[in-house]
Amino acid sequence: MELALFVLLVALAGILGGLVGSLSGLGGAVIVIPVLAVVFGVPFPEAAGAGFITILATSSTAGAAYVRDRLSDLRIGMFLEIATVPGALVGATLTVFLVHQSLEDALLVALGVVLLAIIPASLARRNIEMPEQVQPDARSRRLGLRGSYYDAFHHRELDYVAAETTPALGVMFGAGVVSGAFGIGGGVFKVLALERYLRLPMKVSTATSNFMIGVTAAAGGGVMLAAGFINPVIAAPAAIGTALGAYIGSSLLPGLSNRTVRLLFLPVIAALAIETILRGLGLP
Amino acid sequence: MTSSPTDPNRAISDHQLPPEAYRRMTVILRGGLLLSLAVLAVVLSLYVAVHSGSTSSQTIASNPVLNYLSVPGLASGLAHGSLEAYLTLGLLVLLATPILRVASGFYYFEKEGDRPLAAITFTVLVLIFLGLLVIGPLFR
Repeated sequence: MELALFVLLVALAGILGGLVGSLSGLGGAVIVIPVLAVVFGVPFPEAAGAGFITILATSSTAGAAYVRDRLSDLRIGMFLEIATVPGALVGATLTVFLVHQSLEDALLVALGVVLLAIIPASLARRNIEMPEQVQPDARSRRLGLRGSYYDAFHHRELDYVAAETTPALGVMFGAGVVSGAFGIGGGVFKVLALERYLRLPMKVSTATSNFMIGVTAAAGGGVMLAAGFINPVIAAPAAIGTALGAYIGSSLLPGLSNRTVRLLFLPVIAALAIETILRGLGLP
Repeated sequence: MTSSPTDPNRAISDHQLPPEAYRRMTVILRGGLLLSLAVLAVVLSLYVAVHSGSTSSQTIASNPVLNYLSVPGLASGLAHGSLEAYLTLGLLVLLATPILRVASGFYYFEKEGDRPLAAITFTVLVLIFLGLLVIGPLFR
């Protein structure tokens, strides 16, 4: 395939990933990585490397508006990074180690399994607008893990406080490992921890997860880049396409609910996951 | 009588980031994203034009990034007008954006006298640089 056509198709995959990622909260990398690996035959580490770059682009695109509107809770996000960043370092280190052991096919199979696991996890989201009777634990009190945001729907400032920090930190570490190992955002797992354990409002969970995804990707992506596994000619069109797709998604289709979008695109992700597993197993 | 740090009824800390911190981080995010995408888009267009005879297989098989992962290597590539070096620079700007955001958080936590969050943020920064400067190069 000619280089110009390849670059164009990678950018188109990025646009699709950015569109799906911004509308569903799943992140563009869950589309971009399997497409690069399965359709274009990009080796797993370079595909994952491009995944990190797409996460950085998506996170910054949506993140600026979330931070400006004070929907991202920077204190809670920064506190939880103490778990996701070590997780990302462990995951990325494991991946580069396995690549050096020529176990790329095993990583492809594992990626497919993780993509399949995202499907039920994304459907399990609670989407509770404003949890009630939340009791902060001792750590939450000590660190002041609380905040408020202006809710446009309710036309007033809403207060919230974080509840169970210990299980949330555990889930965040796991989300970091998954993100670092495969180059995906792991936002589904982060949002679950923010909603289920910290019991934050839905909008704050989404925005804070987006904030955290960028920092986690910087940790995992830093390892992959420094190890030489990010190919700029592949990652650049993926990043440009993803940012464009995320921008289109966030501005043109605000009327669609997250759940509707997920139900539309989950079969696509399932198909990509199965293809990825088959490729890893060496099956046609 | 003072409460212990583990007392669940302890009064909640009233530390909060000032609005200025949120504004500064918004500027960092927007600026970093726009700068990196502008560099990547322009340089990628030039790269495709210059390498019009190349194929995707050649691109996948050769990764130019290894030449530009050191400061002297990147500086030399930029000085010589290497398109691969400028693509790497665009990716580095994108990677630096969330790191700057964390650094900005550290600055504001420290400024507000919020020592626990400042310590957590500083640790996060150290870990990110550990991956970038120590762990990654071990596997090069």
